[in-house]
Amino acid sequence: MFSITLRSLGRQVHQQNKSLAPLFTYSKNGLNTEASFDTKPFKLHKLEEGPSTSVTLSRQDALKYYKDMQMIRRMETAAGNLYKEKIIRGFCHLYSGQEACCVGMRASMRSYDAVITAYRAHGWTYMMGVDPVGVLAELTGRSTGCARGKGGSMHMYVKNFYGGNGIVGAQQPLGAGVALALKYQGTDGVCLTLYGDGAANQGQLYEAMNIAQLWKLPVIFICENNGYGMGTSVDRASASTNYYTRGDYVPGIWVDGMDVLAVREATRFAIDHCATGKGPMVMEVVTYRYSGHSMSDPGTSYRSRDEIQEVRQTRDPITGFRERMLSTNLATADELKDIDQEVRQVIEDAVKRAKSDKEIGLEELTADISCNPIDTRVRGVTAFDTLSHRRLGPAVNNH
Amino acid sequence: MASITRIRACDYLFHLNVFRSSFFKKNGTQSALWFHSSAPKHVIELKMPSLSPTMTSGTIVNWHKKEGDTISPGDVLCEIQTDKAVMAFETEEEGILAKIYVGDDSSDVQVGSLIALLAESGEDWKNVQDSETSKISSEISPKPEKSNNFIEVSQQSEGFSKKSMILGPAVRGLLQRYGLSPSNILASGPRGLLKGDVLLHIQKENLKPVPISPIEKPIISSKTAVVESKKPAVAKATVKVQNLTHEQEYQDLELSSMRRTIAKRLTASKTGIAHAYNTVNCKVDSVMNLRQKFKNEGIKFSINDIIIKAVATALDLCPDVNVIWKGDQLIQPTTVDISVAVATNSGLITPIVTDVLARGVLEIGDAVRDLAERARGGKLQLHEFQGGSFTISNLGMYGVNEFSAIINPPQCAILAVGGSRLELGDGGKPVTVMSATLSYDEEAISPVAAAVFMSTVRSLLESPQSLLLGHRSLLT
Repeated sequence: MFSITLRSLGRQVHQQNKSLAPLFTYSKNGLNTEASFDTKPFKLHKLEEGPSTSVTLSRQDALKYYKDMQMIRRMETAAGNLYKEKIIRGFCHLYSGQEACCVGMRASMRSYDAVITAYRAHGWTYMMGVDPVGVLAELTGRSTGCARGKGGSMHMYVKNFYGGNGIVGAQQPLGAGVALALKYQGTDGVCLTLYGDGAANQGQLYEAMNIAQLWKLPVIFICENNGYGMGTSVDRASASTNYYTRGDYVPGIWVDGMDVLAVREATRFAIDHCATGKGPMVMEVVTYRYSGHSMSDPGTSYRSRDEIQEVRQTRDPITGFRERMLSTNLATADELKDIDQEVRQVIEDAVKRAKSDKEIGLEELTADISCNPIDTRVRGVTAFDTLSHRRLGPAVNNH
Repeated sequence: MASITRIRACDYLFHLNVFRSSFFKKNGTQSALWFHSSAPKHVIELKMPSLSPTMTSGTIVNWHKKEGDTISPGDVLCEIQTDKAVMAFETEEEGILAKIYVGDDSSDVQVGSLIALLAESGEDWKNVQDSETSKISSEISPKPEKSNNFIEVSQQSEGFSKKSMILGPAVRGLLQRYGLSPSNILASGPRGLLKGDVLLHIQKENLKPVPISPIEKPIISSKTAVVESKKPAVAKATVKVQNLTHEQEYQDLELSSMRRTIAKRLTASKTGIAHAYNTVNCKVDSVMNLRQKFKNEGIKFSINDIIIKAVATALDLCPDVNVIWKGDQLIQPTTVDISVAVATNSGLITPIVTDVLARGVLEIGDAVRDLAERARGGKLQLHEFQGGSFTISNLGMYGVNEFSAIINPPQCAILAVGGSRLELGDGGKPVTVMSATLSYDEEAISPVAAAVFMSTVRSLLESPQSLLLGHRSLLT
């Protein structure tokens, strides 16, 4: 399936992670620093040319993608466990199985590109720069969470990340708005606007696409198609399941969302398209979620356990990528095992902190509601008792 | 996917070897792992998961994996019955199932309690079993402080209820909030303490509310109820009936803990047992005549005594009905012990007339009167009201025609006896008729067995002389 290019055997290996450094003393020899692969062909809509199906991958990038995907997988597993211990309450939507989507997209994003997604936001929050403590402590409502524990599962924000959004499909026009802002500011930044196959049938998506095409807004509408909108399969919910064609006049690409490299190439292509003023693009990323829609869905009443196990065994984004790395000699099995151990340790420590860190005090009840509050009085229980607004944290995404 | 915490088995090894311990500490844990990769690195604790938002405990129905099985992500470990449904418990972990602590068919497993251990793949899982078991068993041993705690609280609450004065809800709330005892405060109201008295006292003494500790409240409501109900006798009559005057719109009545317990048990019975019912009307003229005849001769017994005798004989003739549950096992006692419902001030109690078949009607009568008297005085021993294979509840003396009773488990049937009434019989002659309704557990007793039993009871009561006949009298 993939051709291997062996290059630069003796080139200096850069390793950012210091804890892995001792391993290289014996594992450097015989390892490749770069390999190339063929991805599944992309399907194109209203496009003459698509992204290249032949991709090159450096050893450094490979290790990073692997670690990021593992980190998200373990973090989501930990979140699921914390939920079943009743330490995380309320909503919780896990990203397990879809890791290649956000890791692949992030790999092609530039530092000033923006992202807005739906409620399945933990993986994206991590990829946009929040450490696992920030994510897990947010889920458990602690002050070390990325929104000081006030947001919870669907409400995590960081620089250039406009959040998980709890209202299904509401982020679609918001993403077009962020793209408008990026264009208005004169940057060539692009906004990646993600939604699920369920929200793809909403009217507001088509309104947003219309205005985006009309005004040539730099927005990529990304449909993460995991096969099921809550408990309804795409075939039962959508008249056309070719989501990449459903922008009609907006060009589209179909991508294998279980292949981090395919996602990376397609995103790079789409960003180039949008950043050069050609208007929006639709990208359908076909993926799979292992867990139920949310923690209250066992996820086995509308699909069989065999189906899930088959995807795990044949299409898993992490296992597949690991095999590619090993077969092209980009990394050794021991190296990857050590990454696994390190990731486990990071998540274990994060879980400990998410359980033990302090919650914020009542005095923060009226803090950081507005970025630039014009009226600093906040209405209390009645109109006659007011509380005063306080500004504490740095305002992210304040322009 | 379980509630999982990792234990570094390495840390445990430190305790075993002093030399290694100091060596590892110098080099840090990371290197310790490198040197001794053969020792189990990680043990994953699988805890009882909460698989529904309201689940607090559940039943492990059956394990899909056994000790030593390899586990991969997405595998179903076991089926767990939550408060709502049976759910599959999946795991996202990879490893070997090293130890199952809570086996198949274990009910009432608390959420968060340890159910199994997972060892890393490639490790010696049997080793994990041995080393972790002792450590964990010491961790999960029950805490003794609990019991002390609730005794203290129950005494406190008893002291409160002894007060004869009526405390309104506002007063009670204030007393609780400030941790006050009503005896220390000067009462000015006609029936005791007023809210104003308490407020005055608080103001005078410049008191502050005591912080509320969150554990106290549930203990008062649940634990004391259980403790008091275990007392053999009827607890002191707690309900004091006071004449309401027009100033008071209502009065708080205290429910005895015995009634709460009865209500709890009856709710469990009515909802958990397949109740079926069966009513017969008996012509009791012969029994009445028999009683009158003996009475004229100076020998006295009640209709109820002869009903007990007839029911016991019927149970002897139809042993399929004389059954009780022992856990999940249905058993048939060799004797017929009949519980008789007796109303007391604090609730219903069912003392037992043992081995009814061996007793004559007069002896039955004596036993019932003795038990009933002692039940009302709260002097029954535990064995005198626990057990029995069948219950009779008779409300005939209150003029009730017919009613149905709730089965008192582990018994499987209860007979509700109404009063006798005159009806128009064959040829326009008046007949005295009495209705009796059997409530029975359809899991333990078949409808046909119940019907045969009831018709036997009827024929025995309609012709009391057939009580003499023995087994061959059974209707075919």
